[in-house]
Amino acid sequence: MGQNKNMNMLWIQSGSCGGETISFLNAEQPDIMTAFHLLNIELLWHPTLGSIGGHEVIPVLKACTDGSRPLDILVVEGAVYQGPRGTGQYACFGGRPLMDWVRDLANAAGYVLAAGTCASFGGIAAAGRNPMDATGLQFYRSRPGGFLGENFRSSSGFPVINLPGCPAHPDWMVETLLDLSSGKLNLSDLDRFQRPRVFYGKLAHHACPRNEYYEFKASAEMYSQQGCLFENLGCKATQCESDCNERLWLGRTGSCTRGGFPCISCTSPKFPDGFVPFFETRKIGDIPTTLPLDVPKAWYVGISGLAKLACPERLKVNAVSFKSVETEGETKS
Amino acid sequence: MKERTFAISPMPRVEGDLEARVHVRQNRVTEAWIAGVMFRGFEKLLIGRDPMDALVFAPRICGICSIGQSTAASDMLGRFYGVGMPENAYWVRNTVLGAEIIMNHQTHFYLLFAVDLTHPSLKGRPGYEEMCRRFHSLEGEAYLDVLKNRKTILEIMGLLAGKWPNSLAFQPGGVTRPITRSDRLRMLGVWRSVREFIEKRVLGGSLERWLEVSSLSDMDRWLGEASHADGDLGLFIRYGREWGLDTLGKGQSRFLSYGAFPRPDGSSLYKSGFSDTQSVASLEPGSITEDVSHSWFLESHSLHPYEAKTASDVHKEGAYSWAKAPRYQGYVTEVGPIARLIVQQDPLALDLVKELGNTVYTRIVLRFHDLMIILSAMETWIRSMDPEAPFYNKHKPRSEGEAFGFSEVSRGALGHWMQVKNGIIVNYQVISPSTWNFSPRGFKGKPGPVEQALTGTPVTDEQDLIEVKQIIRSFDPCLFCAVHSGGIS
Repeated sequence: MGQNKNMNMLWIQSGSCGGETISFLNAEQPDIMTAFHLLNIELLWHPTLGSIGGHEVIPVLKACTDGSRPLDILVVEGAVYQGPRGTGQYACFGGRPLMDWVRDLANAAGYVLAAGTCASFGGIAAAGRNPMDATGLQFYRSRPGGFLGENFRSSSGFPVINLPGCPAHPDWMVETLLDLSSGKLNLSDLDRFQRPRVFYGKLAHHACPRNEYYEFKASAEMYSQQGCLFENLGCKATQCESDCNERLWLGRTGSCTRGGFPCISCTSPKFPDGFVPFFETRKIGDIPTTLPLDVPKAWYVGISGLAKLACPERLKVNAVSFKSVETEGETKS
Repeated sequence: MKERTFAISPMPRVEGDLEARVHVRQNRVTEAWIAGVMFRGFEKLLIGRDPMDALVFAPRICGICSIGQSTAASDMLGRFYGVGMPENAYWVRNTVLGAEIIMNHQTHFYLLFAVDLTHPSLKGRPGYEEMCRRFHSLEGEAYLDVLKNRKTILEIMGLLAGKWPNSLAFQPGGVTRPITRSDRLRMLGVWRSVREFIEKRVLGGSLERWLEVSSLSDMDRWLGEASHADGDLGLFIRYGREWGLDTLGKGQSRFLSYGAFPRPDGSSLYKSGFSDTQSVASLEPGSITEDVSHSWFLESHSLHPYEAKTASDVHKEGAYSWAKAPRYQGYVTEVGPIARLIVQQDPLALDLVKELGNTVYTRIVLRFHDLMIILSAMETWIRSMDPEAPFYNKHKPRSEGEAFGFSEVSRGALGHWMQVKNGIIVNYQVISPSTWNFSPRGFKGKPGPVEQALTGTPVTDEQDLIEVKQIIRSFDPCLFCAVHSGGIS
């Protein structure tokens, strides 16, 4: 792990549901308190943790923004609400629009982490016609810029480090903190959406336990069945850049597809509106419009046709059953 | 002596953004104002969308109670599409919602509430050193123990709901994840570990013995038995009254519960109803209205959620909150674990409220009581899951109509209302538990439940207003979803 620099961290909730905090609290090995000790991180303030009183918070924030107290890591949870009419008054903190706090703190910070899809890209908070005029810190959906502008760099020279996910996996937070405190994160480690490749360089599809069904296009027709969720039930795991199914959630027991429901690609800058309908698969003819990111369409059509023909009876039967069904000859080698 | 005004802004260690303003004269609060200071416009986000999109948006209203939101939304969609659930779906949903409430109640007491018991201004009170040893934030023995061990129950959540927060496992017609026999055994194992932790850490004794406690005097007897006095609940029960928490934050006395944890036979663990503590009337959904007279929304008379069409107005005179003021038959009404236990006519709840009133002390004790009741029922739910029987019924499409969905969640009664035309949502309203409790003034300027509970509070330290904070936190505020919605003009 190497030497960890002693760093401080401040966590602020902007236009959020608190889900990133809850997910962070779910961190397992290491849990958050152990992580703070291991990584030598001093928590300056977090809205849920700590005992600091209301009148003490504002001075801490002000000390960070006026430079009298260096701020190493700023974590922002939630989108920035710019409404109504650019005033930011939909969300206030200590009598001041949160929008203004976020800008001042980001300008003072060594690193800025966007925790979750809302802080990264706007996410759910900026869905549809975006009535709140919500945006991510440095992206508005897929478009660079966002609240802080495309050219923003924190004092370390980094742009905002995006950790999208609705919510982000707690490991993504904790491991990024480790990389920062040990000085291991390089600009080249971030992808085109400023996400660490190490977490977002995979697809949620990878290690999905339904992959054998996927290979043979043995698809579930309704929820609770064991087949693949891609062909009929709207699963976007082949388009979702995350390591969810390898890493697993909640004591390494679950993931979306393991829970039997479709991945809705919540780590993407286009979440949520780029992934509707959520619960069914849009098709042209028999071909889903949501093909895997890096598979050419013609090949997909050819291979899936052949795969269906080659599909073993065992998979055909089980794909549409909620419980495991034995078929004749399944154990013959 | 002159009247002085103090504001708590921001208020840390509550979920979401909340501001409190109090007038103080002769060391007592004479009047209080509670404001939700973030507007999230969630219901507006849902207008124009497919009704099924509510399953994606609802849990994201609140990251703390995401399963609670999913429960209300999927209940609403099930009613809308007219689809029933297989028996298994009842047990799975009850288990998952129960797991969330058990997690949240621990989070509330240890991370948010008990930290106040270590406040320096309380030094010198009996048991203060022990409170600090256990509950000091980020270092107390109990604080750290719970931060680590509250996560055990997440393994049940992971098996049944895939991920948390924000699962899509609850669908109209049932749940997406069937279980195997080995899943069931594993869940019973996890449940047992959770129970042992709660018995050791919180109760200092057995779950069964606690569940027999049926009155204040019985609770005092319980305290003298086994190692009950050494558990965290025992410590709170022991010193809470000595510290006067039983006289702090006495609220008005009308309570609402939507009922929760239904069983396939039509019964449920918690009944629905409305109570003035003397009697319980059956719940009439038509009696729920929302008043916006002191909220930043364009003026209108009190409306049922199906009729609510509000537009924001940040310059409105007399307005001070983004929360609306829900009322039941026009009454200011408290919700929460205390309310559902009173509506249930739970003997311990009725006796505590009769003897002590609905105060900081009773709210905290009864929140633990709620946790124990749910924890105990969870074993039955897990054992009732049948791997050989179905978990889900598919629904048929429907493009016109309206429906509501109700559930009790960690902080009390949660309701969703939806109207659909031509296959898209044209109106969506959410009334969350904290909208009830933290509502601003309504009709004729009558204060909301917390505002009433704060009136008359003694103030020992004007700098810290610790009593005010304790009262606010005893309601377990969650302002992420309380702050309402409606449209933007």
